[in-house]
Amino acid sequence: MALLEIEELRVGYGFPVLMGISFEVEEGETAVLFGLNGAGKTTTVASIAGLLKPDSGVIRFDGEDVAGRPPTKLVSKGISLVPEGRRVFPALSVGNNLRLGAWSRRRHRNEIDERRQLVFDYFPRLAERADQAAGTLSGGEQQMLAIGRALMCKPRLLLIDEASLGLSPALAKTVFQVVKRINEDGVTVVIVEQNVGVLPYADRALIMEKGTLIFSGVGDEIQHANLRETYLGGDH
Amino acid sequence: MLDVLRARADWIVGLALAVALAVLLIATGEEKALVIGTTTGSAYGMVALGLVLVYKSSGVFNFAQGEFGTVALYALYMLDFEVNYWLALLGAVVVAAMMGFLTERIVVRPLFEAPRVILLVATAGVALLAIGVQIWFGDAQGKPIAKGFDRVDRVKVFGVQVPDQQLWLIAMLAVLAIVLGLFFTRTNLGLAIVGASQEPTATELVGISVRRLSSFVWVVAAVLGAFAALIAVPNGGSFAPGIMTTSFLIPAFTAAVLGGMTSLPGAFLGGVLIGIVQSVATTAPLFEDIPGTKETLVVFVVLLVVLVIRPQGLLGKGSA
Ligand SMILES: Nc1ncnc2c1ncn2[C@@H]1O[C@H](COP(=O)(O)OP(=O)(O)OP(=O)(O)O)[C@@H](O)[C@H]1O
Ligand SMILES: [Mg+2]
Repeated sequence: MALLEIEELRVGYGFPVLMGISFEVEEGETAVLFGLNGAGKTTTVASIAGLLKPDSGVIRFDGEDVAGRPPTKLVSKGISLVPEGRRVFPALSVGNNLRLGAWSRRRHRNEIDERRQLVFDYFPRLAERADQAAGTLSGGEQQMLAIGRALMCKPRLLLIDEASLGLSPALAKTVFQVVKRINEDGVTVVIVEQNVGVLPYADRALIMEKGTLIFSGVGDEIQHANLRETYLGGDH
Repeated sequence: MLDVLRARADWIVGLALAVALAVLLIATGEEKALVIGTTTGSAYGMVALGLVLVYKSSGVFNFAQGEFGTVALYALYMLDFEVNYWLALLGAVVVAAMMGFLTERIVVRPLFEAPRVILLVATAGVALLAIGVQIWFGDAQGKPIAKGFDRVDRVKVFGVQVPDQQLWLIAMLAVLAIVLGLFFTRTNLGLAIVGASQEPTATELVGISVRRLSSFVWVVAAVLGAFAALIAVPNGGSFAPGIMTTSFLIPAFTAAVLGGMTSLPGAFLGGVLIGIVQSVATTAPLFEDIPGTKETLVVFVVLLVVLVIRPQGLLGKGSA
């Protein structure tokens, strides 16, 4: 049984955006979700995290249909989203951002310290800046903090919306490498990307176009160079 | 090092201003204005804190903020006949908290998706309703209100004779300010309120229900309004319907604007500042020849000047 199963998912904002998409992500995988601007990537992950209510369809997490549940419930089930645009708490320190990230597990104090240590281990830069207000961090550091904050609730499924947006190629690569480590530590990852540089780190690729899924592949078939030309346009 | 300084910039600027003002007043022999202004000003500051909290969480200027306090005064007045003064005080705070909770549930929550203008008018409605009920309960006359401290012995601060009660008030205010500061910087709930005021979506994503937080914010705002009223008004000896709206809401709004409508320490310090400026303007010989109610005038002047010169507030950081 796949950890995440999406069936005929339809979501919109008064008008339809997702036209009934279906895909699966196995436990332990890193899946990338590609697509041009406006394809519906953010809509997809926001629906999985509970920010949007689907019009119809099934979102099955660990065998249970969770479509339409609010994010507060889904976080405690183990679904955590790094939202588009990072959305760190600018007035709060790095440490307090992480502390709020652990809200759903605030009763487990020892565990929170362990999680914080783990996040600092993934992103040593955050440890150096633990007392700095998040709003004064660089864009890259904010991205690290957003991922770190999403890890504090001990997720089983980590959704990342545009990890590399606005990052230099070198920094984007660093972030992808850390995401791979997170994945190897047992977290299933779905990462929304426009940057094909993520492909070497992925087990599964999904490609969206205008609210539909036009490609889904695993393993070697996604490492083919012509995937880029066929589905993502030559300019990537 | 510079980062640390920058992160605390609002505190540093605020404290420097406060110390400078205190030194100036003592040097010019206006200690009395300083002491009285600080007490009244702290009450303004608390109402302003309530305004800013609600503004950050519900995106609306809360016209009912003053009436949380007046309702607390009425509760104190009526409970004082029945029970011990201190119990009555506690009861008054509880009544105000309930009013805040109900306002959020009955008025704010159903209008969660409505345009903010409608919510604004709705809060004005709550204020009017509260004043109406107060008049209906008694009459429109002022009422005497008990003081917690009737003893006459007096202490000197900076050579000024200060009533016991005033000293108690200042001590209580200092404790309250520290408790609030710790609440918003050290507790999960306080941090959640600050976080939600800036990034509601991210707040939901870490598992905090923003709607549930909203009722808590309204309760905190109402309790702050009650503290302000219970601290500042019995000192004057009497009160009347709507008193917190007529004589506290505008100075508190000015204080909130001084803090840029977003900074919590800014709003509180702004309140203290307004209180001191007001008290200097009413007592200083320099202004003796200006006729009329100088207290109101001076607040409007400060408000206008701030809005024209620094609409982002003294401590605000650019766009709010
Ligand atoms: N809040 C909203 N209200 C109305 N329409 C929206 C909203 N959010 C997204 N849309 C529309 O839904 C469609 C899909 O948007 P979505 O944000 O999911 O795309 P995306 O694949 O994440 O794009 P990008 O790569 O630019 O982030 C777009 O046509 C967009 O205009
Ligand atoms: Mg997007």
